Amino acid sequence: MLGKIKLKIMTIALIAVILTFFSQGTLAYYSTVGNATNVVTSGSIRFIIHEKTDQGTDFPKEGVYIIPGDIVSKRVSIENDCAHPFYLRVKIVYGIDSKELSAEDCFKLNINEELWEFHDGWYYYTGIVKPGETTPNVFSHVEIVGSKVDNSYIGKTLTLSVIAHAVQSENNPITDNNTYTASGWPKE
Amino acid sequence: MKRSISLIIALMLLLSFVLPTQAAGGKVTYHGQANGFVFAPGTDYSLTDLFPNFKSVMPGDSLTQTITVKNDAAKNIKVKIYLRSLGADADSADFLSKLHLTVKTSEKNKMAYMFDAAADQTAGLTDWVYLGTLYSGGTVNLDVTLDVPVELGNEYSDRIGYIDWEFMVEEFETDPTDPFPPQTGDDGFWWIVVCAACAVIVIFFIFRRKREKEEEKVNFAQ
Repeated sequence: MLGKIKLKIMTIALIAVILTFFSQGTLAYYSTVGNATNVVTSGSIRFIIHEKTDQGTDFPKEGVYIIPGDIVSKRVSIENDCAHPFYLRVKIVYGIDSKELSAEDCFKLNINEELWEFHDGWYYYTGIVKPGETTPNVFSHVEIVGSKVDNSYIGKTLTLSVIAHAVQSENNPITDNNTYTASGWPKE
Repeated sequence: MKRSISLIIALMLLLSFVLPTQAAGGKVTYHGQANGFVFAPGTDYSLTDLFPNFKSVMPGDSLTQTITVKNDAAKNIKVKIYLRSLGADADSADFLSKLHLTVKTSEKNKMAYMFDAAADQTAGLTDWVYLGTLYSGGTVNLDVTLDVPVELGNEYSDRIGYIDWEFMVEEFETDPTDPFPPQTGDDGFWWIVVCAACAVIVIFFIFRRKREKEEEKVNFAQ
């Protein structure tokens, strides 16, 4: 009788041991963790203003001496120096180192108004400047207006500055092909 | 000779059409306990970067990145795979908080996002999210979408944002009660296509050689 009980206990114990092994086999697992550092970068709009002479050399930074009636070679174009296409506008700003004199009307520019449309004080390029592209010249010559620049301008420094703004053309619809209707033009 | 060259070119063209092209997708591959995870493609910014499509983003962009998670462990191993986000690093938080990110698995008819929040948050990926059980060779795809608001200002140009993700596997041995491992990769199919194409080329040359020999015999008999 005792032997039978012992046998039963042994059997139950054995089954329990086997079940324990199985259950451990089912539950046991290895785990591994891996870390990924993901990166989001934002783009930007960059351009270079080129100012060249007829000979293809850079326009001298120190400027040039002029006399009334001169026609100075100055080819101004803008190159897209980023990975995104953009709309472009330029403004010509005149200056003089004198409080009494004005630089207005001293210069006459041959602006290509077929490609650069005037609107609200800015010349808007009518197309899109793609990455790596350079626009046609905004203007190529500057005439010193003889009737305006008289003897009172002798020894003065006249300046002509080109200011350019660009805004992305991606995700930026325009109306009636007028690039000035694009959104996001920088404030003046 | 010309005919055989033409045939080979035609076969190569055929293969170029039918073989899959490599998309610029992220890949997370589990190689087993010894080798752990491998992340690809990586970028100049991070060797484990899974977001190659999210570079130089611009206001108004809506971009998608597919990430394939694969179990490449031994045949007798199945894994439960999980994902969680550790969020953005401190320097990136301001920039990333302006962007919106969604993450979901690419399963058909499953539209629920496991993550749908600003990109600097951990949101639905704060805790481990179960992606599925993968047998050896099995894959699960994640669709990640990044939306950049059109109002994003110039002050956020040329920024870099870092988002840390962790993948975890629990590894089990397969047992006889498991379903037959699903046919997951296209590799097998494409290998059959390649082998079939090679076989066609070999058979073509054998027949051609045979015909040349027969012609030689005829010429010799004449």
